[in-house]
Amino acid sequence: MPLLIFSENCGFNSTFKILTMGPLIPNDIITGDWNFVIAILIGIAFGFILEASGFSSSRNLAGVFYGYNFVVLRVFFTAVIVAMVGLLYFDYFGWLDLSKIFILPTFLSPMILGGVIMGVGFVMGGFCPGTSFTGIAIGKTDALFFAIGLFLGIFIFGEAYPYFANFYNSGNMGNVTLTDVTGIAAPWFALGFTVIALAAFWVTAEIEKKVRKNMKEYKF
Amino acid sequence: MNKNNNKRPHYLNPYFGGVLLGLLVIATFYITGRGLGASGAVKSTVVETVETLAPQHAESSPYYSKYIPKDTSPMNNWLVFESFGVLLGGLLSGVIYGRVKKFRVEHGAHTTSAKRLVFAVLGGVLFGFGSQFGRGCTSGAALVGSASFSFGGVIVLISIFGTGYAVAYFFRKLWI
Amino acid sequence: MNRNYLFLTLLMLVLAIGTFFIKKDDVYKNQIKPETLLQVITQPSRYVTTDQVAKRIIEKDPTLELIDVRLPGDFDKFTLPDAINVPLKDIFTDKGQDNLGIEDLNVVFFSNDDIIADQAWVIATRLGYKNMYVMKGGLNCWIETIINPTMPPETASEIEFEQFRFRKAASLYFTGGSTTQPVSVTKAKVKVRRKKKEKAASGGC
Repeated sequence: MPLLIFSENCGFNSTFKILTMGPLIPNDIITGDWNFVIAILIGIAFGFILEASGFSSSRNLAGVFYGYNFVVLRVFFTAVIVAMVGLLYFDYFGWLDLSKIFILPTFLSPMILGGVIMGVGFVMGGFCPGTSFTGIAIGKTDALFFAIGLFLGIFIFGEAYPYFANFYNSGNMGNVTLTDVTGIAAPWFALGFTVIALAAFWVTAEIEKKVRKNMKEYKF
Repeated sequence: MNKNNNKRPHYLNPYFGGVLLGLLVIATFYITGRGLGASGAVKSTVVETVETLAPQHAESSPYYSKYIPKDTSPMNNWLVFESFGVLLGGLLSGVIYGRVKKFRVEHGAHTTSAKRLVFAVLGGVLFGFGSQFGRGCTSGAALVGSASFSFGGVIVLISIFGTGYAVAYFFRKLWI
Repeated sequence: MNRNYLFLTLLMLVLAIGTFFIKKDDVYKNQIKPETLLQVITQPSRYVTTDQVAKRIIEKDPTLELIDVRLPGDFDKFTLPDAINVPLKDIFTDKGQDNLGIEDLNVVFFSNDDIIADQAWVIATRLGYKNMYVMKGGLNCWIETIINPTMPPETASEIEFEQFRFRKAASLYFTGGSTTQPVSVTKAKVKVRRKKKEKAASGGC
């Protein structure tokens, strides 16, 4: 029924035309020359948010795996659900053409393997690339060493590439979305992630309290 | 770690930070049609380095050659500029919140700085290596990928954190 | 603190649930795939003959909808009985498409020849509308066959004579001539081919 109401009210969509339809650069509303300026600005915002949330500290980051600090879960999961829900609304209001945005392609087996290796690297190193940059910015030596490790790791990959090039390129499902693969519409995923995230937030708040009680030496 | 009492660092409320980050992801898509990332910039650095030191090797390599643009440097790339911005943003926040200090190593109470640094490098090597298979890291693939409903993004997200939880026990001494 | 978080939790849930109800005003939802369109375009089954159209008009077939895709000026000068005027460029608008999606209605596009009508057909079919047809030969053919039918030569088959008789009667019907012969269409044995069979419509110019 809502579909009928909105389509009969011809003015509905136009009243929300507060923003020109994006994505702006692919639609040539902003020229490509601004690209790098925008890149830096977005990066600054990203780095600021990460550091201000405490992601420049490896101990804070690793805490999600041990229960003494769930900041990673909170920031990350909140960002995912806000973005998911937000993108759907942006699409609805006609501010963003979802068919024009880049969807990360899926290479099934390589990505699973990559994720596993990254998972180990994350726990060992206590950083991920973006957070390591913020760590370097405030003077964390372990962040610097992690970044050096990143460099070496990618280099080793590049050199050893011929040995697993076939595997690397396998499992290519294309730029598929969750909806493409499961046939379930996007709002279900947005809601699903939201419910799980919210539940996790409440539960982990309790877990964190308990774990911290037992960690006398927990300090920032 | 620091037992001499520095006052407790002031951090943003994590949910607030998450909302800001989510909005930033949307804004990035709105402006550029793509999301943000981080590991890509390190890859560009690697390609640039190899190309500078051993151009023939870089160009004949099936992997590096893909990322060498014809008429400009591999570093002349959106992610590189964005990552530079991340450094600046982190610095800005650090300055505002008083966290910029001389170089120091963070580690758990039961381990040493040296050990921590060794594992930092090893962790980085693994992470860098894995990020190529994963076509991104936690920012580019897991966060932005999932937010844009990409199937691959969610796969990477689950793989990274699932594995992290699975192996956390073995590295607990580093942290707690 | 808890109160605020409770509020935020509920807010986020409401927003997430809200995503189920926001649907785009999506006229283009039913677009058919380009490959399908290509396949359908090459079938001649979209053509209906002037005879078939005439028969339907005379029988007052309620499922027939004639759409004149020429400019209003031409439409005003002459058009088929009960035809609606939707100039080609208006097919792209919501208003123009109001007449297309009606259940059980068979839309027949026509123009002077059938070129413009064909274009309208392609657009409408691409948008996913079903039961779209084109009158082959357009109004030019209509004039030649229905209004001014020509007597077939002596050597023509019985079918052709039947067709001519039908056309003569139809001509009278449409031009309001006096009927010395009862216009008895039921005697006309011209078979109306059903569109479901993928055959080219015969008859016409």
